[in-house]
Amino acid sequence: MITNHPNVKEKNTPIYNLLTLFSLLALTIFSDSCSKTPIREKTVVPPDTTHTVSYANGIFVVNEGNFNWANASVTFIDNSSNTLIQDIFRKSNNRILGDVAESMKIADNLGYLVINNSNRIEVVSLADFKSVSTINGLDSPRFLEIVDSTKAYVTNLRSDVSIINLKTNTVSGSIKTNGWTENLIRYNKYMLVTSIGMFSDPSAQRRAQILVIDTQTDAIVDSIQTGKEPIGLVIDKKQKVWVLCSGGYDNFEAPSLIRINPELRMIEKTFTFADPTLVPSRLCINPTGDTMYFLRNGVCRMPVSAAALPSQPMIGPEGRLLYGLAIHPSTGHIYVSDAKDYVQNGTVYQYDTYGTLVKSYTAGRIPGSFCFTKSSNK
Amino acid sequence: MSAPVTRVHISFILFLIAISIAGMVHVVRAQNLTDTLRLKEFEVKSNYSTDNSCFKRVKIDSVILINHQNTDLSNILSQYSAIFIKSYGNGGLATPSFRGTTAQHTQVEWNGINLNSPMLGQVDLSQIPVSQFDGLEILYGSAGIARTSGAFGGVINLVTNPDWNNRLNILAMQSLASFSTFTSNVNVAAGSSSFQSHTKFNYSSATNDFPYYNDYLKETIHQQNASFALFGMSEELFWKLKDRHLFSLKVRYNQNDQNLPPTVTDYNLDHLEKQNTKDLFAVLEYKLVGKKYNLVVKSAFADQRMQYRLDSSINAVHQYYQWISKVRFSYNGIRGLSIRPGIDFTYDQVISDDYDGMKTRSTTSFFTEVNYMAGQRVKTSLVIREDLIDAKFLPIVPALGVEYFPWKNQDLSFSVNLARNYRYPTLNDLFWTVSGNPDLKPETNYSVEGGFTLYHKSNDRKFRFDLTLTGYYSWIYNMITWSPASGNSNLWQPENIDQIHARGLEAGLNFNWKVLNFDLSLDNNFNFCHSTYQKASSAYDQKIGKQLIYIPVNTLNSTFSAARWKFYLNYNFCYVSDRYTAKDNLSVMPGYILSNIILGKNISLRNFILSLQLEIRNLMDLDYQSIANRPMPGRNYAVTLKFSMPKLNRQ
Repeated sequence: MITNHPNVKEKNTPIYNLLTLFSLLALTIFSDSCSKTPIREKTVVPPDTTHTVSYANGIFVVNEGNFNWANASVTFIDNSSNTLIQDIFRKSNNRILGDVAESMKIADNLGYLVINNSNRIEVVSLADFKSVSTINGLDSPRFLEIVDSTKAYVTNLRSDVSIINLKTNTVSGSIKTNGWTENLIRYNKYMLVTSIGMFSDPSAQRRAQILVIDTQTDAIVDSIQTGKEPIGLVIDKKQKVWVLCSGGYDNFEAPSLIRINPELRMIEKTFTFADPTLVPSRLCINPTGDTMYFLRNGVCRMPVSAAALPSQPMIGPEGRLLYGLAIHPSTGHIYVSDAKDYVQNGTVYQYDTYGTLVKSYTAGRIPGSFCFTKSSNK
Repeated sequence: MSAPVTRVHISFILFLIAISIAGMVHVVRAQNLTDTLRLKEFEVKSNYSTDNSCFKRVKIDSVILINHQNTDLSNILSQYSAIFIKSYGNGGLATPSFRGTTAQHTQVEWNGINLNSPMLGQVDLSQIPVSQFDGLEILYGSAGIARTSGAFGGVINLVTNPDWNNRLNILAMQSLASFSTFTSNVNVAAGSSSFQSHTKFNYSSATNDFPYYNDYLKETIHQQNASFALFGMSEELFWKLKDRHLFSLKVRYNQNDQNLPPTVTDYNLDHLEKQNTKDLFAVLEYKLVGKKYNLVVKSAFADQRMQYRLDSSINAVHQYYQWISKVRFSYNGIRGLSIRPGIDFTYDQVISDDYDGMKTRSTTSFFTEVNYMAGQRVKTSLVIREDLIDAKFLPIVPALGVEYFPWKNQDLSFSVNLARNYRYPTLNDLFWTVSGNPDLKPETNYSVEGGFTLYHKSNDRKFRFDLTLTGYYSWIYNMITWSPASGNSNLWQPENIDQIHARGLEAGLNFNWKVLNFDLSLDNNFNFCHSTYQKASSAYDQKIGKQLIYIPVNTLNSTFSAARWKFYLNYNFCYVSDRYTAKDNLSVMPGYILSNIILGKNISLRNFILSLQLEIRNLMDLDYQSIANRPMPGRNYAVTLKFSMPKLNRQ
């Protein structure tokens, strides 16, 4: 029956050429696809130059990843070999990390990676970054702080502080709070925990406070009222506690920086930021405890003895979206990250204490926090 | 635990009811039946369009729709059109990317009424069952300007039409598919030569707990929290008076209870994430058909409610209403010339837990379409649209097209068109609490397009093919993107920051043969689309010149169909190339090929037709993800039993 249409074939040769092209294309694609490799997200990372990987001396850059994209990662800046290793959790464990890697803490020779939206803490050995354990049963965990060799506290989005048994790597208890708990810092036998209020409430109804928890009894013994959204917490050389308050997600009130006397549990000083739309974040302190740093339209520096807030940032944003900030615990160098538009790899910039750029490093998606190894010395 | 059982029951009960209704009707009307059973005449898919006015429009074959009554619009489009569908999987959110644009740049219309949510500006295509429309037409790029502004990608037009020859037609379908998926449809069309009523019910539910290999656990587990139950019904009344006046009333109601599944790493959650939607649309239409003119007056009302719940922390309700009125006039009194002016008026009202109080918007569009055919060879078309939003005029949206027919028979045509278009911000962009940005400007689009269509039918009509080749270039300025606010990286805000260039090539090649009583066809759509970011947010931004995320550069879908001895076979093959998941293009989802096969048989049983259809989806059992870390099902099956009482046509 095909012979019924010879005229068609002759008349439209370009069409048949195109058909041939189509079939060739189809064939190519088909032969290409018969492999049974699972279709999974791949990350283009530069090949590692180090042959022996050691996580003894360097900086872990915790890349948050996008909410619900399961693409958090950890980048390691190796100070001893002066190299950069991307995506070390996946490389060591052959699995992904989940998303919104909020923070990392080191205790003994273990690293604790707090993965917020995936509701877990990944415990890794610092020798090889291999997974040792996974702590489940958390509710949007935020930050972890070590109490002693057997116990740690974890803040959560939904109204409690989880108690972690570090021997078994399980949640051994919970300290009920009346709101989302965010940052925490140890002061003698107490843990100071910032509490923001109920997540589902508007700013006006959120009760912002610092909770004082006795780590021996796991009981809240006191609280100190603060400005809206207390997010940053450091202790200076005079053992004064500084609290950075963002003022609320909706610019409810002007952001503020508060100094608290932890013995009297009273506010001693309050600095209020002038422009509420420029929101400060990431309060840090240098190794000697005399100078604070935070992000506010750039990196700002403020001596603890200053009489006023800094008027200008020491490092300007230059179009970057500065997102994470940390101060090296021995050199005092400033590590600040550019998250760009959140949908591409970020960059980490290293500045010396004078604000001079030392080096920059490519990181993963949304580099948000840093964790320094114990012998990190560069 | 009882929920899925109940759903199964409902499905079967609907099916049984349908069969009994049909049975009763059969008894009553049996003597009127003729011996020959007449199936609805199938319209053949063709890129060659008789209604082409210099702009590209493609109709999807109704046979495809008939064989896919157990699925939703997103499946049809990803398998049979040039539109790329970004899908979160079986029943999950599915949004279109048309010509390298985002979901908000594609408008979906149902009988001329826009289904895009005024809040989000987009449509979830998985929520539109195929059984709810009779015709599907795709308007590419600037072709959409004749219908609406803002559709830089194009317009997907779903229509339902009366068949005045029909007296009674009943269709009942029950489909059982993998992962406890049950789909039931009942359609009853009845009427006379001047009055028709179409009643449709559809119900579909699934536990959707498909097994997949979890990369985090390194073992195969079942998908969690992905079940859904979708119910829809519609009633359409058509009344014709003296072949001059046509009245119609169409009412459509849909509701969906849907659980939203987590990513692969978050498998262990006993978490609850749910979405519940209820949509009601009603359209009243009057059409006056004159010798030289037509007049259409249309008034519509939409009431949509969406509830989103995330554990105990979020429980948000969004309620929105729309009133739409349209007047369209068309005049054909002068030879070769047609003039179609019109006015559209839309009033949106939103009451959302995430807005500060009630928000409204009124949009008035004035437009005129002028088509002129100079002789037999050249056709020109000019569309001018002007939108007035809350008493503020937007710049004019013009589109100009020229089509040239080098042959007398119009089987070959070359066309070229130019357009400028605007898309105004969605209500979420403007009014979302804290984040909303009332200072947003509309997005601007300039586009140019050219191509040709060749159509051929052999003299004995046993062979035909059509070929369409189109190239386009589109520039989008002031594109609205949500990104961290300057000064507060915790606050995301929409801003007119992106600039996009999208260019591409579309080829459609369709064949149809009738050989040895076999009815064979081969339909192919090939797409090349290079859509790139053109503006950096800072000197350190790496996205300039990079492909937009989740938009493949190449896609190909091919469908081979064969029919003989009342058997039908349909083999569909889709290739999707790499999709980037980062704007710097440094992370990527590898390309994949999916194939699906359908084998069916229509059995004539006295006065009924019973169709049995078997379907294998993901034939090669590919372990794939369409969106990173969102699992997709492996090989899965569907069995469909369809019972249709053929049309009792006018003798």
